[in-house]
Amino acid sequence: MTDLDELLPAIAAGDAEAFGRWMVAAEPSLRRSLRRFATQVDTEAVLQEAMLRVWQVAPRVRVDGQGNSLLRLAHTIARNTALDEARRASTVRESASDELDPAAVTVSDPDPFLRELIAACFEALPPTPRKLLQLRLEAAGGVHDKVLARRAKKKLNTFLQNITRAKKLLGACLQRKGVSLEAT
Amino acid sequence: MNDDQLTELASGAFRERDRRTGRILPSPAWHDLDADGRQALYEHTVVSRTLEAALDPDGRSSTVRAVLARIRG
Repeated sequence: MTDLDELLPAIAAGDAEAFGRWMVAAEPSLRRSLRRFATQVDTEAVLQEAMLRVWQVAPRVRVDGQGNSLLRLAHTIARNTALDEARRASTVRESASDELDPAAVTVSDPDPFLRELIAACFEALPPTPRKLLQLRLEAAGGVHDKVLARRAKKKLNTFLQNITRAKKLLGACLQRKGVSLEAT
Repeated sequence: MNDDQLTELASGAFRERDRRTGRILPSPAWHDLDADGRQALYEHTVVSRTLEAALDPDGRSSTVRAVLARIRG
């Protein structure tokens, strides 16, 4: 398994690009770890909050020689952030356990073949869903969909329906190519 | 707004931040979903982030890009 601690010195020195590369490899594993909290907390908000906390504590993290020290710490931070949020929302159902399952800590490598397939399916989308999904992608979580819909001169509901349609069409296109993106 | 629209709205990476504490806030749309809807939202978001990362030249999902934007202020 790739050891993301190679990026730790740069991250600790405040290199946001290095932290971006770390997040690309760490996000799927961290998101999977939050699946058990999906009905209790907004896992997207928890994951973003946890990533920010990881960035803040990274300068104080010491590599322990077991590999992926920062990622293992990130799993603990994500879990604790989820528990805090669940307590705040009074939805907590998770039994407390400090044990981190080592098998849950995984690093994601880029899949050039999948990227190629998805890019080809994206290009094959009908114009309106493609344009609106492109708007959403370019906004990168920085702009509310209400604003994006207004910019596209669409009602919010119409905007959202088109994004959903675009994703369904992408999924169907990938299925035809033998690829399923269903969450595991 | 129906469940599909709430799910799509909450599956985006946009999240408000508490002005006082800086805490990233849950999507209001997430609050409007029941337990089954929240589980479906989770699955929908996993697929969405995979698609986004594949379509980004640096492999960054909208979650990664949103966090980087916050770090850079």
